[in-house]
Amino acid sequence: MSIFIYISPFARKAVKIFSVGIRAFCTIHITNEYIIEITQCLGPSMLPTLNMVGDFIALERITHRLKLLENGDVVVCVTPTDPWRSVCKRIIGMPGDRVCIDPTTANRRYITVPSGHVWIQGDNMSNSTDSRNYGPVPYALIKGRVFARVWPNPCWVKNGLVSLDVFK
Amino acid sequence: MARFFSSNPTIRVCAGIASWIPVIVWSIDHGFTISSVSGRSMQPTFNPDSNQLTRDIVLLNRQAAISHKYKRGDVVTLYAPDDPDKVITKRIIALEGDTVFTLPPYPDKFLRIPNGHCWVEGDDTYHSKDSNTFGPVPLGLINAKVTYILWPLPRFGKVPHIEKPGRVAIYADPSAF
Repeated sequence: MSIFIYISPFARKAVKIFSVGIRAFCTIHITNEYIIEITQCLGPSMLPTLNMVGDFIALERITHRLKLLENGDVVVCVTPTDPWRSVCKRIIGMPGDRVCIDPTTANRRYITVPSGHVWIQGDNMSNSTDSRNYGPVPYALIKGRVFARVWPNPCWVKNGLVSLDVFK
Repeated sequence: MARFFSSNPTIRVCAGIASWIPVIVWSIDHGFTISSVSGRSMQPTFNPDSNQLTRDIVLLNRQAAISHKYKRGDVVTLYAPDDPDKVITKRIIALEGDTVFTLPPYPDKFLRIPNGHCWVEGDDTYHSKDSNTFGPVPLGLINAKVTYILWPLPRFGKVPHIEKPGRVAIYADPSAF
């Protein structure tokens, strides 16, 4: 810091504030990118789980990097059809799983999820643009797993997988 | 606690250095990165020797990938659609809306690229696993643009920008006229 001795105190202070500002900005950014992020989720596609007018949700960005995502996890991922848009959906099928494309139609068609892809669908199947429209989504497009709703009505967002044993 | 941090010079210096780590990580994620290219799928642009003993070292421009604006002929790195752990280097042949004439492994003769997708191919068509195998890829998978070859020194310079006009029917945006 000896070089700043010859600079006026005002300039020294300005440099100090600038440096602290840069470090704070980058720390927040890196935390958002690698650990935890709070974001808003708009739209009707996740209706019973998330409100359609814009709930604030918390997503953690560790699970998908460790490849620990499971069927039933709610994830935020970039849409294949628009790199600017992110959507919040639920994972229905992992690589190798056999999923029904649309259970509401009379003649059901099934697809095997290819390796490195996931099948995602909204909880509100009647109003959701998801894998039924654009097919299985590459795993690398997933941005994080939603684990809580922050506001309104804070609660944990749980894994929605219901085992078939329940219906026996 | 604060007095403990400020009084011990070692801890103060360590904390000072540690506070710059996020800045370094951020500038790597959003600026320029150095990386090596392996494999022969991009011959002769990268790794022109067939012995595979040396790997080209290239400069990646991540800033260009954040804006999602690409031109036909750009060389980009992207996550392999079938394996999220693998990052592959390919050349963009066609962008959304274009019609591309595909090569053998692909089932259809030609294909219109859907919205938000692009068609990527290696320069060495016969030793490349590219869009002819896995189809058009979403633009969101691209994580950097390859701009310069840094090593070996004789080939130092900009990565050549090669378009393949015979393969692509370019989509003209009606709103541009």
